[in-house]
Amino acid sequence: MSLMLTSVWVVPLLIAWAWRSRQAATASAWLLRIAFAGFGAWAIWFGLYVHEGEPAGIFFWKPTLLYWTLATIAIIAPMLSWTAPAKIIVGAYFALSSREWRWINRGFAIACMLLGAVNLLVASMTSYRNWVDFKFSCLTILLFIGLFRLNFVWLPLIVDLSFHLYRRTVVAYRYVSQLLRTP
Amino acid sequence: MPFEQPLKKFVLAWPGSLTEQITLTPTGKSGGAGEIFGIDTQPNLLAKLYHATTTPPQLNHYQRKIQWMLNHKPTLPKISAEYQGIVQLAWPEAMIMHQSDFVGFAMRKIAFDQTLELDYLLNRRQASQEDFDIDYGKLVAVCFNLAAIISCLHSMRIAIVDLKPMNVKVYKSELFVSILDCDGFHIATDEFRSDAPQVTPDYLAPEFQGGSVTHPEAQDRFALATIIFRLLNYGIHPFSGVGVNSRDYPPELAGRIRNRLYPYGNSAHKNVLKVPASVHEVLPNALRELFDRAFSASAINRPSAQEWVASLSVYAVKHSGQMLPCNRGHLKFSSSECPTCLREQLIQGAAARRRSFLTRMQTAPTRTLKYVKKTLRQTHTSPFQAALAQTQFAAVHLAPRASLSTRNAIAAEILWIFGLLISYWWIK
Ligand SMILES: Nc1ncnc2c1ncn2[C@@H]1O[C@H](COP(=O)(O)OP(=O)(O)OP(=O)(O)O)[C@@H](O)[C@H]1O
Ligand SMILES: [Zn+2]
Repeated sequence: MSLMLTSVWVVPLLIAWAWRSRQAATASAWLLRIAFAGFGAWAIWFGLYVHEGEPAGIFFWKPTLLYWTLATIAIIAPMLSWTAPAKIIVGAYFALSSREWRWINRGFAIACMLLGAVNLLVASMTSYRNWVDFKFSCLTILLFIGLFRLNFVWLPLIVDLSFHLYRRTVVAYRYVSQLLRTP
Repeated sequence: MPFEQPLKKFVLAWPGSLTEQITLTPTGKSGGAGEIFGIDTQPNLLAKLYHATTTPPQLNHYQRKIQWMLNHKPTLPKISAEYQGIVQLAWPEAMIMHQSDFVGFAMRKIAFDQTLELDYLLNRRQASQEDFDIDYGKLVAVCFNLAAIISCLHSMRIAIVDLKPMNVKVYKSELFVSILDCDGFHIATDEFRSDAPQVTPDYLAPEFQGGSVTHPEAQDRFALATIIFRLLNYGIHPFSGVGVNSRDYPPELAGRIRNRLYPYGNSAHKNVLKVPASVHEVLPNALRELFDRAFSASAINRPSAQEWVASLSVYAVKHSGQMLPCNRGHLKFSSSECPTCLREQLIQGAAARRRSFLTRMQTAPTRTLKYVKKTLRQTHTSPFQAALAQTQFAAVHLAPRASLSTRNAIAAEILWIFGLLISYWWIK
């Protein structure tokens, strides 16, 4: 059972590793990856393997931790004159100058900081119900990022793949039927 | 706009000052630059009228070009008197005027019932459907005649540039060759210059791929060698082959030409294998060396049309003893094995291999896997972004698509999905 569980996340990671692009990633991209590796390891460990759940104190802090980490990366990276992390998140779609990216990145950092703070406020000052609603409304941001990805990258990728596979199937079909025709 | 009615009141202006009134009858044929008409008083000539959309400066240039061509008719390889009707070049013979404006020119008509496109000689079955049975004697003669015409043109500083089998006709019984579209030639004499902008990538020399043809004669030499190679090797293009590493092997001929991926040289190419059905190995050494110089070395060493004429002449002369029948009756080069027999063996071998259907079905799973693998290696491009890019937002420019391979794209998206899931887990 736990083998199954493990393969669910190990196999895709192995594929991603095997097919990784050989182009060097930017320092910001590495920073984001490392951060997410940490978050991911935590999530996988406590989500899939440890059934007693996480340390109790962290519960309300979780969204804040994520937001503030992102905010920190978004603030630090430009100071080291690395690529703006916001560009990594939405840069696949639009071409803007690096000055514009810096501004978008600042907005991103501020939004993350605010969201992290608001999370703590809501969690400590209002009811549990309100907090759950707040988190739920934050998820819509994620939904948007996901939809963007779906529309701009995944659908085309799928269309592309099925198109090529279809073409190859047609070629294969012709080949096989030709084999059948010549005795 | 195609004309349907006979056109009256045109004037045929011969070199000198002789003129005559003519009526033009549409033939229904037309090309990129103009339309072809019959001439009532001159059954052996055809008229080419430039399209009405031709701009005045262009038309003026055509007029000067035709004028120059009328005054400089090339002396072509002599053909004996019995072949009077043969046209080796559809060279302009007279200007055609309308209300004293230049509108086109007259050229000798190439009898289409006696000729066939050189393209057809690249495929035995097609040729025999046109009542033309190919043997190596005929092929060598055609190559020789083509090289001879080009050599004459080059000696006058005229180049064809867009030289390709489609623009060349072959007389079925006499094997003479004639070249169409003379008004598109490149001319580079001291008194007159005219460029030829049209090219065909499959016949374009590597140094001009993706650029302009700065040395038209070098371009003709390349195209000539390519055509001769294809004629003598069952239509196989000198740059078609099998990539050792399919990832780096360009799918189209133009890319292979640019990278000089020529697998038929005397020494093998390390990245490309020959097409299995190729018979280049039994062509005479003299010709193989010319091919090597044409396709693998630098442009400076590329053999001239004159060199081709010299090397082919020994084989093109009947009764020279250089072309002999093999023991099955095919004409072959006396110095080597019979290419026709070799080709039959290669094809039969392939057919026999194809017949082992069972073995192939057993390997089907691995081959399916190969298909999938190959698909995954394709470069991934997004049609959505392409469509968006075409609408051209004023303020926001879409990013140029990263040219990732499909595999790389999938790898990146796996990470993205993980990232989104992790974020979800932390926020929820
Ligand atoms: N001398 C000729 N005798 C017989 N037919 C001819 C002759 N010249 C041209 N044609 C016919 O007319 C057609 C169009 O002529 P041509 O190719 O010269 O036009 P074009 O405008 O130069 O076209 P393009 O530039 O696209 O090659 C040819 O495909 C050919 O069938
Ligand atoms: Zn033979």
